[in-house]
Amino acid sequence: MGEVIENVGFTTTSAISDFLKKTPAQDIINWGRKNSLWFLTQPMGCCGVEMISTGCSHYDTDRFGIIPRDSPRQADVIVISGYVTKKYLPALKRVWDQMPSPKWIICMGDCSISGGPFYESYSTVQNIDEIFPVDVFIPGCPPRPEALIQGFIELQKKIMAKKDLGTDY
Amino acid sequence: MDTNIGPSEMLMHLGPQHAIQPGPYLLDLRLKGESVVDAELKMGYIHKGIEKILENKTYLQGITITDRICYLAAMSNNEVFCGCVERLVGIEPPERSQYIRVIMEELSRIQSHLLGLGEFSTDLGFVTMFLYMIREREEVLNLIDTVTGSRITQTYLRFGGVREDFPEGYEQKTMSVLNDLNKKLDQHEELYNTDRIYRQRTVGVGTLTKEVATELGVAGPPLRATGVKFDVRKDDPYLVYNDLDFKVCTQKNGDIFARIKVRLDEVRESIYMIEQAFDQMPQGPLFPEGTPYGRRTPVMRVPPGEVFYRVEDPRGEMGMYMISDGSDTPYRVKIRGPVFPTMQALPPLILNTYIADVAAIAASMDGCTSEADR
Amino acid sequence: MIDADYILSSLTKTFPNDLSESKIESDMRLTSYVEKDAIFNVCKHMLDNLECNHLSCECGVDYPDRNELEVVYHIASYEHPVVITLKVKLPRDDPEIESIVSVYWNANWYERETYELYGIMYKNHPDLKPLLLIDEMLGDWPLRKDYEGFPNKTSKNLV
Repeated sequence: MGEVIENVGFTTTSAISDFLKKTPAQDIINWGRKNSLWFLTQPMGCCGVEMISTGCSHYDTDRFGIIPRDSPRQADVIVISGYVTKKYLPALKRVWDQMPSPKWIICMGDCSISGGPFYESYSTVQNIDEIFPVDVFIPGCPPRPEALIQGFIELQKKIMAKKDLGTDY
Repeated sequence: MDTNIGPSEMLMHLGPQHAIQPGPYLLDLRLKGESVVDAELKMGYIHKGIEKILENKTYLQGITITDRICYLAAMSNNEVFCGCVERLVGIEPPERSQYIRVIMEELSRIQSHLLGLGEFSTDLGFVTMFLYMIREREEVLNLIDTVTGSRITQTYLRFGGVREDFPEGYEQKTMSVLNDLNKKLDQHEELYNTDRIYRQRTVGVGTLTKEVATELGVAGPPLRATGVKFDVRKDDPYLVYNDLDFKVCTQKNGDIFARIKVRLDEVRESIYMIEQAFDQMPQGPLFPEGTPYGRRTPVMRVPPGEVFYRVEDPRGEMGMYMISDGSDTPYRVKIRGPVFPTMQALPPLILNTYIADVAAIAASMDGCTSEADR
Repeated sequence: MIDADYILSSLTKTFPNDLSESKIESDMRLTSYVEKDAIFNVCKHMLDNLECNHLSCECGVDYPDRNELEVVYHIASYEHPVVITLKVKLPRDDPEIESIVSVYWNANWYERETYELYGIMYKNHPDLKPLLLIDEMLGDWPLRKDYEGFPNKTSKNLV
């Protein structure tokens, strides 16, 4: 049995410590954050359906560490996937407050960017970026799952470029 | 709802953001121990005012808005809007267009049912089935995408016809995907039926009787699961549904298990209908000849009048009441969505059930909040 | 066999003074105006005697030119394919009508919706309060034609 184990390529402890020695702490923090972007499944409109599809096996966002979560307490990213109405805005703000830092927002679809087709409605709120600190906008009505994945990758680049030692969130 | 709670009672808010929901709504529950003694459903969290918006858009612009009433049944919503205008103008699509519409609407029904089944399964904790269903749905969405160029909001129908003809070889491609789906559905149904926990959670839970279901006005598969043979495609036929051979899928028990069985059967029935429609489809133009209606209909005026037209949405009877005053925008559009009465029937249905069953019952109704709120 | 003719003759026989401008569009479509006070009894008669056991839809329409609001009922059935459209005219200043919730249970939400969007008051409704809008918007009646909170930027009458 001992021979078999020797042949398997394990990551040795020295490899990890070498990596830690050679890399700045900032990069390690950012690397960890960008590869565990858990997003909140919170379908609000047409884009919500595409968000569900993206999280499933066909588009397989798990390979980027992007996993759907059901509770805001466990999520890092909230995807505003649709029209925000005057009635829903307080609830959405509370969901956002319930998420632990560090946290990010993705605005998916035209509705959440500017109002989209419902710009003229008496019931919806336009320009979400005045209310929430939005990180990535994904245009489209609705954006295809590929576009959502691209949005996540843009967000990962943004996280990787951040220089704050993990304090400023 | 009375918020004064008695001994051993508690109030519980399910929503507006909750994992079981297809869209935001708020279900206020008053619990005594583990059973629900009072429930109230609060709507309007994604009310967009579509009816008012449609009054201020030209008819052609309106098609795009109707896509977004219910994003899982964009094709039926287009159909109900275009059908209203066609009846007011007095044109009828050529036969080829009607067959294309039937095929696309049935494909749309299949993908909607698959997502409905998937979401229901994940709310029961049956996540395997969720991933299976979404996998099959992607194949069907690809078929729709091939013709319309869009996955869920297609804007495919036009007044008097459809936007695009089928590409070459579409029939073979569609039938091979659908035959595959048919085989997989049998496997999935076996997986549902043989799972002991699944049966315990669904058989005899959330039961609706025939009388109660008709009184509450429930629509679609939950209604047919109680044994009422009501299907607008049969009772008030539109397009070429009269020429197709299909049966209305019903069950007797009216519980969650029966609703899921009805949806599975309807997917099979839709596949059968698509097969027939491909066989019977004639060649010909897409738009009525000698009329100005086409892919790019210019801004048009519609003669004054009013019409109530209904179609069978994946979730039940979908109606639209349109009044025209002779201008280029509708005077009034009322959308009668099937989910609105179905959601309304949810609070009486979950009374005296256990809190753990509320998620299963709510998900088995396959609600689409967007359509209920409009 | 129940069809539009049969329903209209039954209604005119039972309510000779309350129906006006009745029109049969086809075997399956029937339109009629009903007097404001009679609507409850007409609905009850249709449910009890004519198998019209399905309220498909209830909505309001605004006619500012005539200074009138209309309530429109679409009543269908699970037994036969006839859809009956009943309309009631109400004065725009003081729209009030009898609720039909005790006849058709699912009228409840339709009436709440019509109330908040058009300001039509329903008498004897079990729980008349806003359904879709936030409480602050009650009293704006957004679907009335003279509602001003709607930015009107769309094209109008291009032809």
